[in-house]
Amino acid sequence: MIEVRRLKKSIRNGNRTIEILKDINLLIPAGQFVAIMGASGSGKSTLLGLLAGLDSPTSGEVFIDGAEISRLPEDKLAEVRGRKLGFVFQSFQLIPTLTALENVLLPHELNGSGDGRAAAADLLRSVGLADRMHHYPIQLSGGEQQRVALARAFVLQPPIIFADEPTGNLDSANGSHVLDLLLSRNRASGATLVLVTHDAQVAVHADRRVVLRDGAIVEDTMQERA
Amino acid sequence: MAATQKPSLTWSSAAKVAWRELQASRTKFLFVIMSVAIGVAALTGVRGFSDSFQTTLLGEARTIMAADLSARMFRQPTNEEQQQLDGLASHGIQRTQVAETISMVSSPGDPVPLLVSLKAVDPQKYPFYGAVDLQPAGDLRQVLTDATVVVAEDLLIRLHTQVGANLKIGDSTFRIAAILVREPDRMSSGMGLGPRVMMTYSALQKSGLLQRGSRSGERFLFKLSPQSGSITAVRARLERILPDAQVTDFRESNPALTDGLKRSTGLLSLICLVAMVLGAIGVAMAMRAHLQQRVEVLAIMKSIGARSSDILRIYLFQTVLLGLVGGLIGVVCGLGVEWVFPTLLGKFLPLRLDLRLPWHSALAGLATGILTTVLFCLPPLLQIRTVRPNLVLRRMVEEPETKRSLWARLIENRAQWIIAVVILLGLGGIAAALSDSIVVGRWFAGALCALLLVILGVAALTLRVLRAFLARTRLHLRSWLRHGLANLYRPGNQSAAVLAALGMGVMLILTVFLMQHGVIEEMKLTSAMNLPNIFLIDISNRELAGVKQLLAHEPEVQGDLETLPVVSGRLISVDGTPAESLKLKNFPRRLLQTVTLTWSSALPAGSTLVQGTWWDKDDGQSLVVTDHIADRLHLRLGSQLILASNGRTIPATVVAIIRHNGQHVYSRSEFILTPKALAGLPVIWYGAVHVDPRQVGALQRALFNRYPTVTVINIADVIETVQGVVQQITLVVRFLAAFSILAGAVILASSIASTQFRRIREVVVLKTLGAKRNHIAAVFSVEFIVLGLLAGLVGVIFANLLSRVLLHRLDVPFHVQWLATAVALVGTAILATATGWATSFRILGQKPLQVLREE
Repeated sequence: MIEVRRLKKSIRNGNRTIEILKDINLLIPAGQFVAIMGASGSGKSTLLGLLAGLDSPTSGEVFIDGAEISRLPEDKLAEVRGRKLGFVFQSFQLIPTLTALENVLLPHELNGSGDGRAAAADLLRSVGLADRMHHYPIQLSGGEQQRVALARAFVLQPPIIFADEPTGNLDSANGSHVLDLLLSRNRASGATLVLVTHDAQVAVHADRRVVLRDGAIVEDTMQERA
Repeated sequence: MAATQKPSLTWSSAAKVAWRELQASRTKFLFVIMSVAIGVAALTGVRGFSDSFQTTLLGEARTIMAADLSARMFRQPTNEEQQQLDGLASHGIQRTQVAETISMVSSPGDPVPLLVSLKAVDPQKYPFYGAVDLQPAGDLRQVLTDATVVVAEDLLIRLHTQVGANLKIGDSTFRIAAILVREPDRMSSGMGLGPRVMMTYSALQKSGLLQRGSRSGERFLFKLSPQSGSITAVRARLERILPDAQVTDFRESNPALTDGLKRSTGLLSLICLVAMVLGAIGVAMAMRAHLQQRVEVLAIMKSIGARSSDILRIYLFQTVLLGLVGGLIGVVCGLGVEWVFPTLLGKFLPLRLDLRLPWHSALAGLATGILTTVLFCLPPLLQIRTVRPNLVLRRMVEEPETKRSLWARLIENRAQWIIAVVILLGLGGIAAALSDSIVVGRWFAGALCALLLVILGVAALTLRVLRAFLARTRLHLRSWLRHGLANLYRPGNQSAAVLAALGMGVMLILTVFLMQHGVIEEMKLTSAMNLPNIFLIDISNRELAGVKQLLAHEPEVQGDLETLPVVSGRLISVDGTPAESLKLKNFPRRLLQTVTLTWSSALPAGSTLVQGTWWDKDDGQSLVVTDHIADRLHLRLGSQLILASNGRTIPATVVAIIRHNGQHVYSRSEFILTPKALAGLPVIWYGAVHVDPRQVGALQRALFNRYPTVTVINIADVIETVQGVVQQITLVVRFLAAFSILAGAVILASSIASTQFRRIREVVVLKTLGAKRNHIAAVFSVEFIVLGLLAGLVGVIFANLLSRVLLHRLDVPFHVQWLATAVALVGTAILATATGWATSFRILGQKPLQVLREE
């Protein structure tokens, strides 16, 4: 479960203070698929980053499974992210010097126990990359890189998955494939899925739609999944 | 309709855009400017200071000859020669004549005459450099008149007389006006017999002593002025005017000084060159990183219609501007350094520096700064042509590499290769122009070009080998180790370039250290505190044991007496040519009438082999000559000489040529034979020993009481001058080497720092995946340590090779310095890791979102 209370984020730009998020309150129950939408600059990626502890809020609190994370020291936050959160980014963010298998193995090596190679290989097979395991990111197409990123996000079976425009850099076929994988993960393992998107076609698959405008939530609706 | 060509961006528009960009990210540009500035400051400071230092040093060297040039002959010049010598005055060349002869003198109350070494000078001109010290203190110009003489203290001891008394020389009587404590050119005068008596030249002429055909040697001393031309040209002219005179210039007044100057010039040149190349490396790395960070900006500019040539113009302008600003800051800092050095060093030695505003070194520094900036920026600037606008659309998506043959890549990158050659030639040109030492300049410029290519190759090969190892073992390695090693192969990473730059830097720094170590160790031998400072002349066979015993019991004497047996001989022929018919090279024929022969079973102390090998058996035929004699008599290995002494003919073959350092008694020897060749011939001995300079007078008295015919020549003052200069060289060389090593370390650190931007994204991704600081620290430490160790390895190997070659060229033996080599190796790894962390530590604390949002 994710809970956000009176969350604010502002930045200084010269003499001006710009408020990116204004007093956000949000409660996301475990297993829910939430699509966060909004125009460019509305604050949706910032919100996702704060939920995941990738940045500190100016004020307010973020709770993951009841534990407040926004004031945790860096290493504690890393531990929380390693155990509980999986990430998928628009620009994949694979480590270019590691092979696909090594990229997927990385979270396991950082925070898992035992030998994760079999699990990592299984996951890569499950996303259709059985024959690409020992390839470097540079040798993979965009769609393949994003599937490696998905496998990496899933490898420790985290209860929460954050995805920031995961289909933004992909063509429609690859985009659908990635979305299907995310959805099936959400359904199969009951992982909470928080997905930032511009794309209304993607958002229709969510249980809930949160729309941001100028740093504030202007719409928060439950919906039937498509 | 004819297609209209879009006009090129004007230089003024390019300047505006370049300026706007500079304004926008001042901090980043500050880094580039600082790299250029450090390089230029090191170059300007080191070069300017070493220029001033050498000027001062050469001044010191002149005092040992009391002149810039000296021409020695054993006759008066002819009228024609005299006219030509007078003509030199119109070129601002001053001249004075010094005569040296031996004569008998006596004290009016003491009928026993004494053989003395008489020196006649014109006190109004002599000495041109240095000073004659008298006791009681006085000015030679006032003290020495046609009616007075100044004499060495041992004359007073021997004749039981004192200052103020009269002295009879020939038929004239002179008043002893003062004790001669120091004459600057004592060593250049040769070892005359008997104590020194100095009188005016005009008094000598009036005395009638010269007409008697005694062993009079004439020395012309010359002082040059700025309009006289180079010393080499004047010397050549003098050799033409006086064909049988022995012409020497102040650079060869003392072998220890000559070697010291040659080596310090070489070493200081090397340090300047190293400062320049390190500066260039700093500039290159900074600009490369800077332009790589701008690739996306370039793509955006292209996508909105800028042509490659327009962008090239903008960045070329920017580059020159950065080089200029960095260069100017560097020159100012360098001048500061140059002015601060003497203040710092003043505490340790009485260094008199002739500090001028060194336009020469300042301009050289500035030009080098701009030139190296532009040269090193050309390859990345030319890459602008290959930046594709679609990077704008696919920002973080890496472009797949296509496999092509080496030849295809060579063809495609021909512009890069041409530029690489231009850079190497440019650097070589700068190196050659900057170097005062032809030896170091030529070798360094050549070696630099070759080594840069070799080091690049070795760096690439090493990385390839490591990669092959990694490919086989990677999944069995610990995650941080695998990741750290894999990081060396980041796409677009500069590992090979950083490795080469770092390796090159380590090589240069260690080379400076090894060179200064070798040269200083060698110099210590010529400035050791217990070198002989008095010479004993004319010890007979009977007296030798007694003299040795006496000296052994004198507490002020340090060490044993060095002895040189001297057998008087003649040179009959060289390679079948009779001595009278030899074509000599500025060597007075008269000297051939008597040559000093000696023997030795082994290479004497203070001498080094120049050619050939020392004999291993006493064959009675082998001959070793000094380089000086070999040069003047045109001798080479294998030359057949016939010598004669006391009716014995001695055929001899030159088996080796040696050089003396002028600090030991054997420095007086010219022809060294095996003991068997001279056995049984009448011999007299020369001796040399170190005495506490304050106790020389007492020792002279003690010796005179027991052995009145043994002459003592005190050269303690000269030895002190030589030691002083050599110690100054040692200190300054150490200081400059340390400065250059420090500047080098800073520059190398900035080279590593320039790659830090690549790590930011990786840190963020790792953090997002749950990596703790320790893990990230381990990953990067592996990368830094391996990079440092590899660079260190490449650097120390090539440093040892380069030092070996350069030291050999400077006639200094090379020994592997294991400790220094190990320190350099480990130090590079520590430096790489420390700098890597110093610049990456900030990244660790960065919030991931900030970086992720930028993408």
